[in-house]
Amino acid sequence: MPALGHAIGVAALAAALALVPYLSLNDFYLQILFTIGVNYLAAAGLNVLVGYAGQKSLGHAGLFAVGAYTAAIANIEWGINPWLSLVLACIFGAIFGLVIAMPSVRVSGPSLAMVTIGFGIVVEKIVTEWTDIFKGQAGFYGISPPSLGGVSFTNLHWVWFVGALCIATHLMLRSLLAGRYGRAFLAVQMAEPAAQSVGISVVRAKTLAFVISAVTCALAGAVVAQQNQYFNSDFITFNLSILLLVVVIFGGSGSLYGPVFGAVILTLLDAWLARWPALQHFTYGALLLFSLYLMPNGIAGAVSSLAGRWRRTAPALPEVAGHSVLSARAAPAGGEILVVNDLYKAYGGIVPVRNVSFAIGAGKVHALIGPNGAGKTTLLNLLSGHVAPDGGSIRFEGRETVGLPAHSVAGLGIARTFQNLKLFGELSALDNVLLGAHLHIETGLAASLLGLPASRRTEAKARADALALLTDLGLGERADEPAKSLPYGLQRRLEIARALASQPKLLLLDEPAAGLNPQETHELGEVIRRIQQAGVTVLLIEHHMDLVMGISQHVLVLDYGALIAEGRPEAIRRDPKVVTAYLGTEEDEAA
Amino acid sequence: MTAFLQALASGLALGAIYGLIALGFNITYATTKTFNFGQGAFLVPGSLVGVSLLLLAAGKPHFGNLTQAEMTMTAYVLATVASVVVVGAIGVALYYCAIKPFVGAGGLNWVLSTIGFGIIMQNTALAIWGPASIAVPSPLGSDVWRIAGAGIRPQEVLIAVVAVAVMVGLDIVLRKTRFGKALRAVAFNPQAAAIVGINVETIVILAFVISSALAGLAGILIAPITTASVFIGLGVALKAFSAAIVGGLTSPRGCMLGGFLLGVVEALVGLWRAEMREITIFLLIIIVLVVRPSGLMGARSVEKI
Repeated sequence: MPALGHAIGVAALAAALALVPYLSLNDFYLQILFTIGVNYLAAAGLNVLVGYAGQKSLGHAGLFAVGAYTAAIANIEWGINPWLSLVLACIFGAIFGLVIAMPSVRVSGPSLAMVTIGFGIVVEKIVTEWTDIFKGQAGFYGISPPSLGGVSFTNLHWVWFVGALCIATHLMLRSLLAGRYGRAFLAVQMAEPAAQSVGISVVRAKTLAFVISAVTCALAGAVVAQQNQYFNSDFITFNLSILLLVVVIFGGSGSLYGPVFGAVILTLLDAWLARWPALQHFTYGALLLFSLYLMPNGIAGAVSSLAGRWRRTAPALPEVAGHSVLSARAAPAGGEILVVNDLYKAYGGIVPVRNVSFAIGAGKVHALIGPNGAGKTTLLNLLSGHVAPDGGSIRFEGRETVGLPAHSVAGLGIARTFQNLKLFGELSALDNVLLGAHLHIETGLAASLLGLPASRRTEAKARADALALLTDLGLGERADEPAKSLPYGLQRRLEIARALASQPKLLLLDEPAAGLNPQETHELGEVIRRIQQAGVTVLLIEHHMDLVMGISQHVLVLDYGALIAEGRPEAIRRDPKVVTAYLGTEEDEAA
Repeated sequence: MTAFLQALASGLALGAIYGLIALGFNITYATTKTFNFGQGAFLVPGSLVGVSLLLLAAGKPHFGNLTQAEMTMTAYVLATVASVVVVGAIGVALYYCAIKPFVGAGGLNWVLSTIGFGIIMQNTALAIWGPASIAVPSPLGSDVWRIAGAGIRPQEVLIAVVAVAVMVGLDIVLRKTRFGKALRAVAFNPQAAAIVGINVETIVILAFVISSALAGLAGILIAPITTASVFIGLGVALKAFSAAIVGGLTSPRGCMLGGFLLGVVEALVGLWRAEMREITIFLLIIIVLVVRPSGLMGARSVEKI
């Protein structure tokens, strides 16, 4: 949504909230408005987790409980002021977000669903059974609501307060998700190995998403407890977890406005059908069953595809002059940038990398060749940190990288591409390159949440640089297109652009010419030469011998996991061991 | 010691129920990477349809209490067959309404659609049978059997025997028969299975029929222990889901093992402190999954880079 339209929308919502007292709504309607707000608060954070980071949670009722009980206990047992209780609820929410994230980031799919369900149920049982502290079904009475100028909140105040919280949450999340954090979440959802290859810590990104969702969910719980002035264990059920998830998914997960649609429509429907409980449940069931069939991306998805029909978009021009990474000129460096010693990796009986040792000279183009199944990609995965070796050492600029996770290796200055393309398909080409530059866009979480001018400037600069790099590689015209809609040859080139954007010292290319036509292969050779001129050391796996012999200064040959030869291209071409590995020997043919 | 044996026996019986339902999760997950999150609602007609038919046969209204005399072994077997057939048939509807539109689409939509289907089923059952629970006598009577001093309910023995027989039977079917091979082929690679002439959709529908029928069977087996009501399903199905995940959703034997394990742990913790059962079980599950993310016997999936 364009910035102006968004500002008008937020202002209109604020104005509507200000006008609420003149609508002479009774408490029933005020309660509905309040509930919409609370549902939005809880769902907005959950949307970051589910829609952006791609982590499904079926246990957020537990975090709602954390907030509600913190507010209740802080106020009643510890005598803490209600305002401070709200802050405390957010802090406890964050802590429990960390707690649930710890096991959750290690698992995926149905196991993740199980861990989150388990968390929800454990919390539910604790607050039900541990009556000494949590009062079980009897619950806490007389939780004080916050007061302003000595006047306790009325229902109208609550609507205003929750409305303000919603607007603040929305603005912060919008700012956060538009920048490097939002991109990192999406990258983790779409392709974890690729996210690691640009230096994103998958664990940290998922944990952050859990914490964000926990804070808004706990805040929602605390607000409900205070407004209700009563809270007991009956609030915390598996159904609440499902409801929160439904608000997100029905509304449209991964869209900033999904939770708004979800909260408004489901709350209104709930209130309207409350008179007929049986019908209410049937409607709820039917909604779950059929709405996603009709609108796979929720209401927000349906609305935006409708809106897309008459919307015209012009690519936004950068506000500042960009600077392409490729335009750098570096003097040829000397020495060895990477030294591999006795590297070993086995999968059961298969040994794709068998005690391999070699060195990579800085500033050169190196080629790694070998028959299919020789272990080339595994070796590359070891170098990039995506796979941990069983033995040996890898020293990059004198630093041991064995034992480092892939994102830390990327942080040292090793970038890579993937044999089977791993682009962030739904994201634009520009966003893919911006993700490549992730480590160089230095914006803190707070600055990003608050949308501080410094963070906007950093973002604009990064955008301009990314666009300059894309233009440099002939992709400038298509910067706004989703990566997956680009032709195959350009997707390959975009992966190189993404890797280059991380300003690597060593670039690992895994079969960059696979599937390219002769013209594209020739252009690729030129690109690799330019990369070398920019001072980047290149190691490429390639089957295309013309390309290998044309651009590389040093060739490594791998066969059955062992390094059988290395040297200058023309020498390798004549090496009898290499010829044997590729073509077989006379005896082999006779056998 | 007798208390321990008693707990062990009920744990094994309960575990057999979890294992049966978990096996159903495994069969559909293998073929479609989905399963019925609303499976709890399928236990409801499982327990109530057969019982109501018996009540009607005895000339009573469809929701009432059966006397011990009316619950002969023959009657129970007939009721079981009726439940399994009806719930199995509902499995076909489940597939077309809640699974087919979302298979292969990724994401969580199938979770919500199956929950939605379950909610509709549960409320339909509520409209038919009302919220009251029906006491269901066991066909083996209510006298406790004394084994090594421990009192064991005959229905618990019946549950364990039937469940183990069904599990062994299914295990053989999955490993030896043409259907079993076709099912595993679809699980491994649906496209390749289709190329060699397997009707993939038929296999998938059968998988959902079996899965649903197992839930129906679990419903009627457990009814004499828990009584039959519209609300028995959720808790049991959630534990069965846990059993499947802990044992390994991709392994049929893992699912069965997970069921027994969960049932026994639950019963033994209950011996110590009843209110700690769920807390202990789910904490244990979380720890197991952190150590072994694909369950005790599940195949570890390695993403190829």
